[in-house]
Order: sequence, then C-alpha cells, then structure tokens
Amino acid sequence: MKTVIDAHNISKTYNKENIPVYAVNNVHLHINQGEFTALVGPSGSGKTTLLNLIGGLDKPDEGKIEINGIDISAMSPNKLIDFRLLNIGFVFQSFNLIPVLTAKENVEFIMQLQGIPKAAREERINNLFKQIDLVDKMDSRPAQLSGGQQQRVAVARALASKPQFVLADEPTANLDTASASNLLDIMALLNKEENITFIFSTHDARVIERARRVITLVDGRIVSDTAKVAVHEE
Amino acid sequence: MIFRIAWRNIWRNKMRSLVIILSVAIGLFAGIAVLALYKGILNSRIHTVIYAETGHLQIHHKLFKQDNEPQFIIHQGEALLAALKKNSTVKLFTTRTITQGMLATSTGSAGVKINGIIPGKEDEVSGLANKIIAGKGFDPTKKNQVFIGNKLADKMKLKTGGKLVLTFTDVDANMISAAFRVAAIYQSDNAPLDERNVYVQQSELNQMLTIGNAFHEICIILQNDALTDIVRQQLQQQYPEQLIESWKDISPETDLMIDTVDTTSYIIIGIILFALAFGIVNTMLMAILERTQEIGVMMALGMNRIRLFLLVFLETVFLTLIGTPVGLAVAWVLTLYYQQHGLNWSSAGEEVMRSFGFSSMIYPEFPTEKIVAVICIVLFTALASCIYPAIKALQLQPVEALRK
Repeated sequence: MKTVIDAHNISKTYNKENIPVYAVNNVHLHINQGEFTALVGPSGSGKTTLLNLIGGLDKPDEGKIEINGIDISAMSPNKLIDFRLLNIGFVFQSFNLIPVLTAKENVEFIMQLQGIPKAAREERINNLFKQIDLVDKMDSRPAQLSGGQQQRVAVARALASKPQFVLADEPTANLDTASASNLLDIMALLNKEENITFIFSTHDARVIERARRVITLVDGRIVSDTAKVAVHEE
Repeated sequence: MIFRIAWRNIWRNKMRSLVIILSVAIGLFAGIAVLALYKGILNSRIHTVIYAETGHLQIHHKLFKQDNEPQFIIHQGEALLAALKKNSTVKLFTTRTITQGMLATSTGSAGVKINGIIPGKEDEVSGLANKIIAGKGFDPTKKNQVFIGNKLADKMKLKTGGKLVLTFTDVDANMISAAFRVAAIYQSDNAPLDERNVYVQQSELNQMLTIGNAFHEICIILQNDALTDIVRQQLQQQYPEQLIESWKDISPETDLMIDTVDTTSYIIIGIILFALAFGIVNTMLMAILERTQEIGVMMALGMNRIRLFLLVFLETVFLTLIGTPVGLAVAWVLTLYYQQHGLNWSSAGEEVMRSFGFSSMIYPEFPTEKIVAVICIVLFTALASCIYPAIKALQLQPVEALRK
C-alpha cells in the first residue's frame, strides 16, 4: 500500500515559562493511502500539534516529515502554502468557513486558488454537495447553517482540492450526536468509495469507534497504534 | 473570488467602513476645499490687482520709476494714445500724472503719491468711484479737490470737506504747496495702497507741475487677462523708448503668490492626508486583528501571501473608491454654492485681509485642473496606508492565527 505520510522521529517543543515542554516527542509515524485514522489521547497529549506538523502548518524542531516522498520540513513558508493547497485538506473543530462566502463559494474558493476552470469547478461542487447532502443549502451563508451543516461544508471544502489526505482536528467536538454521526457517515463513505485518507484528532468515542486505526498519544509520544481493519472486516 | 471576499468584508462592520469612507471623503473634500479657496483668493487678488490697482499694463518713461521725478513724462504721449485707441486688444486706458509729495494737516503729515487722474476714465479703468465710502467725488465747479484713502483719513483725522496741504516739486524743482479739500474718502481691498495714494484732477496737477497736457503713466485694461504678456511684448517692441510693464512686474508679490500657492496648498493637503493615513492604518489594523483566525484558515487552506496582500489592498481600494466620489460631490456642490454666493470672511478679520491686499469676500473656484492630481494623492495615501496592516496580516503564522 502506498505510504502518504512518513514522519521520521519528529519532535516539537514549546517553551513554557522558559522550560522546554515536548508537545510531540520523537514520533515515528506512517500513514498509508486510504487509511481512516484517529489520533486520540488526553488534552495536551500533542494530537493537534502532530496534525499541524503533518499538515505543514508548523515545523518540527527535530526529524522530518515526508508527504508522498517530499520532505515538507525543509520547505519555505511560501512553498508550504502552495503544497498545502494542492495536497492537504483541512477540517477544523470550529468549522472555520469564510463567513462572507456562501457554502458553495467556500468550496469553490479552494478550487479557484488552484486555478481549476469554472466548468470543472461547477461539476465538482455539484458532486460534493450531493455527497454531503446539502444541495439545497449551496447558496446559504455559514451563519444560516447549523453546526453539522457547516462541518459538512467544511468537509466538502477539504475535499474540493482532491487532496492526498484530509486532516480533521476534533471535527465532531462542536456537533450534536445526530450531526456527528451524519458527518462520520459521509467521511466513511468518501473514504470507502474514493479511497480518501482521513486522519482525525479526537476525544470522541464515536469517531474512535468508526476509525480503522487508532493511534494513542500521551505526553507527545505514541503509546499505542492499533489497526482495527481486520476486526471490522471480520 | 478575492474581489468578492474583499467587497463583502468591507460591509461586515459597516460603522468601521463608514469611518474610512468618511475619512477619505473628508480628506478629499478638505484637499479640494483648500485648493478651491486658494484659487478663489488668488483669482480675487489678481482681479483686484488688474482692475483696481495696476491694470493689465502700464507705460512709463524709462527713467520715471527710478526717482519718480515729474520731468520724466511720456514722450509723444498723444501719438501713443492714438495708437492704443486703434489697438483691438486694448479695451480701456487712462492717463495719470504722478508725483511724490507730502500731505500735511494741522494734526500731522505723511508722504503720499499724488495721482492726477481724469475722473470718468479712471472710474472705468480702476473703478475708483466704486471705492468711495464718504463724499460724492469731484465737483466740476470746485477746484483743488482730493480723494484720500480711509486709513490715511483716520490717521490724519480728516473727513470729507476737510482741508489739507499737498507739497511737491514741479519739473523745475520748485517747491509747490497747494491747499486741497477732501472731496471723497475711498476704501479699496488694499489698505497699504489706500494709505499712500491720493487722487486729484489731472488738469490741476499738470498746471501746478507745469507739464501742460503731458502725463507720466498710461494704465491699460486689455480685452482679456491671457493677452497680457503678448501685448506687453508687442508694445515694448513698438515703443522701445518707453517702459512697458505688466501687472506681474508692478505687483511682483502677487506673481510670487501664484508661484507659491500650489506648493502651499499641497503642503496643507499633505498634512490633512497624513492624519487620514493614520485613521486608515488604525482601522484596517483593527479589521486584520479581528479576523486573525480567518486569515489563519485562509493561509492554512493555501491562500498565498500575494493573494492575502491583495485582499487587504482591495478592501482599502473599495473603501477609497466609495469615499472618493462622496468627497468629490460634496466639494463640488459646496464650491459651486460659494462660487456663486461668496464666502464672507469679514468677521474673521477684514482689516487683516485688507492689509495684505485681499478682499474679505472670497469666491472659491473648483480646481478642475488639479482634481486628477488630488484624487491620485488621496488614493495613494489610502493605499499606502494599507501596507502596514497588510504586512501585519502577512506576518501571521497560520498555526498561531488558528489558535486565536
């Protein structure tokens, strides 16, 4: 199976009152194409920091991260922006849709940054909104959508650029049970049908339950890495 | 899409956007108002100089202005006047006999320039009759009458009908003293000139100076102001033995004012726009800081720094483009109103204005020829002001911005 993410002994420290604290400590991680992985652990265990490092939003102090064999740790900030645009999809805990754009425009925005022609954009938008079941809300502004609907639009936005993988930071944290379940169904379906790689950071048992691989972090270290694919398939 | 985001962003906080729009509008209005006011003051001053003081052109004997000696009369003056009559560019002209002298009353004395004038013609050329504030002008049945300026009258405690003595020398350097009665007191827009100039009838002064029908000065009004330099050159070529001067030569301070007024007004505009720039920087900075997380998201999703800069830049452009026509329209309407009705500054110091030769009634003029420059300066200021906030936005690190 193709390796999408290859993190080699990465560490990230923050200075807390001049004392260095390891947010991520010597983590070695491989994520393969099509995985549906959950990063779990208590608050402050380094889940979000690890996602930020993998997503090229932050740089490790030690080690290197390769995405499809490309070392992103050595990239300049400007190159990283372009790399993220073309390779990585993000779903944030607080949805973070651009409030002045409609749901459709939020999704289209990424494709426009990528320079995708209008006709291709329209086709992909229609498909994505069908997949997230929000065709009737395409022209609504984020403020007019429920939390669950906003997060589904955020997933569509993350997928709009046809990324190598999607990083989702606590995607269900602000959702009610029904919305969270609905969102997970959509992501699981996209993972299954389009072989899209999803990596979540989460506390949510519902997400952990649906994940096929669960990586547990404590104090910035991976303490367990469990693949559940076989169990599910059985 | 960036245009769309920028446009919609400016309406997210209407009050803040309104502040920038109004700042731009007020900056532009203030800039235009300064130029309009200066143009009005300048044109008023030029009009006063030409039509109340010097005329467009003056002709003198080449040596007359050196010592103001009465013997330096204009040679072949009658032939020159006949030629001026035929000159189609010349609208009006009059002659003056001039000598320097001393005005004395029982209360004191003052050095004056005694102008011998032809009353009707002088009124046409310099509007002297319109400046009379007391008295009725020259009475043809009476002799030795004089017009004096209001300021001189106050200084010498003279009223109409009052008596004074003018002392001067004739062409043979004989001392002449003659008693005159104040026929009228006049007041022009130039207090220093009022204090120095007295007017008597030319025929009487000529007789006292023993110069017959001769004169020392021809004051010419042309068909229009633009002809001044051309006609001066033509006349100078035709009459090289005479000194032919334009109002710019006679009133160099007015000419200097024309040269410096643009610089002065642009300095004032610069000061106004400096304040405007601070307002825009502050407001745009607030807008950026308020949207830190959103900017972080955009950067995380792949919006590069050029596009981010463009976004902030476009927001300022839109705000400026809305403010510009508002400022222009207000400036245009107000200028047009005051151009017709005048702006009376007499309460703000008529005496001060007059002491500098300015009318207290100003008719501002819309500075059409400078509008493009002013708009460019305002736009440049507004856009330059967004650079610092834009740089602050570019300096945001997505991972830190997302935490906010």
